[in-house]
Amino acid sequence: MAYGTVQADVIGTSVAGSNLGAGNASIMKNRIINGAMVIDQRNAGASVTNAATTAYTLDRFQYYASQASKFTIQQNAGSVTPPVGFSNYVGITSLSAYTPSAGEQFIFGQMIEGFNTSDLQFGTANAKTVTLSFWVRSSLTGTFGASLINAAYNRSYPFSYTISAANTWQQISVTIAGDTTGTWIGSTNGVGIRLYFSLGCGSTSQGTANAWVAAEKETVTGETQIVGTNGATFYVTGVQLEVGSSATGYEYRQYGTELALCQRYYETYQAGYNAGGNYSTSGSQGFAMYFKVTKRATPTMAIVSGTATVSNAVAGNAGGTVAINNQPNSVSNGGDLYVTGATGLVAGNAGLFLPSTLIISYSAEL
Amino acid sequence: MYKLHIPIMQTEPTCVIRLFDNAYIPFAPDNSDYQAYLKWVAEGGVPISAEEQA
Repeated sequence: MAYGTVQADVIGTSVAGSNLGAGNASIMKNRIINGAMVIDQRNAGASVTNAATTAYTLDRFQYYASQASKFTIQQNAGSVTPPVGFSNYVGITSLSAYTPSAGEQFIFGQMIEGFNTSDLQFGTANAKTVTLSFWVRSSLTGTFGASLINAAYNRSYPFSYTISAANTWQQISVTIAGDTTGTWIGSTNGVGIRLYFSLGCGSTSQGTANAWVAAEKETVTGETQIVGTNGATFYVTGVQLEVGSSATGYEYRQYGTELALCQRYYETYQAGYNAGGNYSTSGSQGFAMYFKVTKRATPTMAIVSGTATVSNAVAGNAGGTVAINNQPNSVSNGGDLYVTGATGLVAGNAGLFLPSTLIISYSAEL
Repeated sequence: MYKLHIPIMQTEPTCVIRLFDNAYIPFAPDNSDYQAYLKWVAEGGVPISAEEQA
């Protein structure tokens, strides 16, 4: 649109192909985190084969699969050239030709926290219109399905989009009038909106396109199914959900900002740090741990890999390799890390925690 | 499968271990892993007690 032109909720800029969104929505207008698929803390670009469950892959993006080993997910899978302006994408590749049964689902998407969607006022008469835009590339062509769903899975907006050329990046834009009924979580740390792209779902999850329905519908009737073709690919990037009836230019964020946004939900504590601590009883110690970013909720702690040792900070003797016991007394911004199995230490002396190769994850995903 | 866990210096379980990845899941209502654990229990799942061997 022409420079300076005002059209409802879009303002044209002097830069060709670039518009500003409604009001001041050009800052943090995108409700999707890591929509450009830049951050991959868990796998650092490695390929992952799906389990028969829910799991996170690239940061903030989650899959759900009713069957294991039906697809792989990898940042920049296939090493194709991303769309202009992007450096990364997520690539999903089908590992077989599988037809989902009625109740089965293979979906990929993001759950947006209520704090970041409450202003959309879904579930009220003032519900705002939103526009989803994304770049997609597939080896298949046809009509594909996706959906917005509420936290309780009883309000859905399944919609379709068309991929018209195989192995070609294509930008999709879908405008959705906000849901004026149903229950949507407001300004809380719960699930505000679920955005799912269907990779193939059974009939139970399929609904009529482009209408709100009081049911759980992840996709549309008659969708093209990625899991239905062995070797089929589905690549996505530039995912943006914003207020308004038009897709505006993708909101690029500084890497550090995007990483910090991701770390509200997942971060790792890695080798290279030493943490001071105090002995509790001989052989076990507790250390204070502080998260880089305050978590959405008290996180789950897991050992990703590696081992740690402790040493007596007073006498200087090594206490050997220790086992990570737990993290009691955790809150959203830190907790106590307890280790056991240290040897040659003296109760009452300060200790050092040496996470030589250890990587611990803290997850507070939705 | 899950196992209740009594942390060092505690007398009662304050978290549960998810055995497939040995993740420590706190008893925190907003934690989605804890919510999944509660759903599993509601569907009839019984965690291993803190004293039993997994």
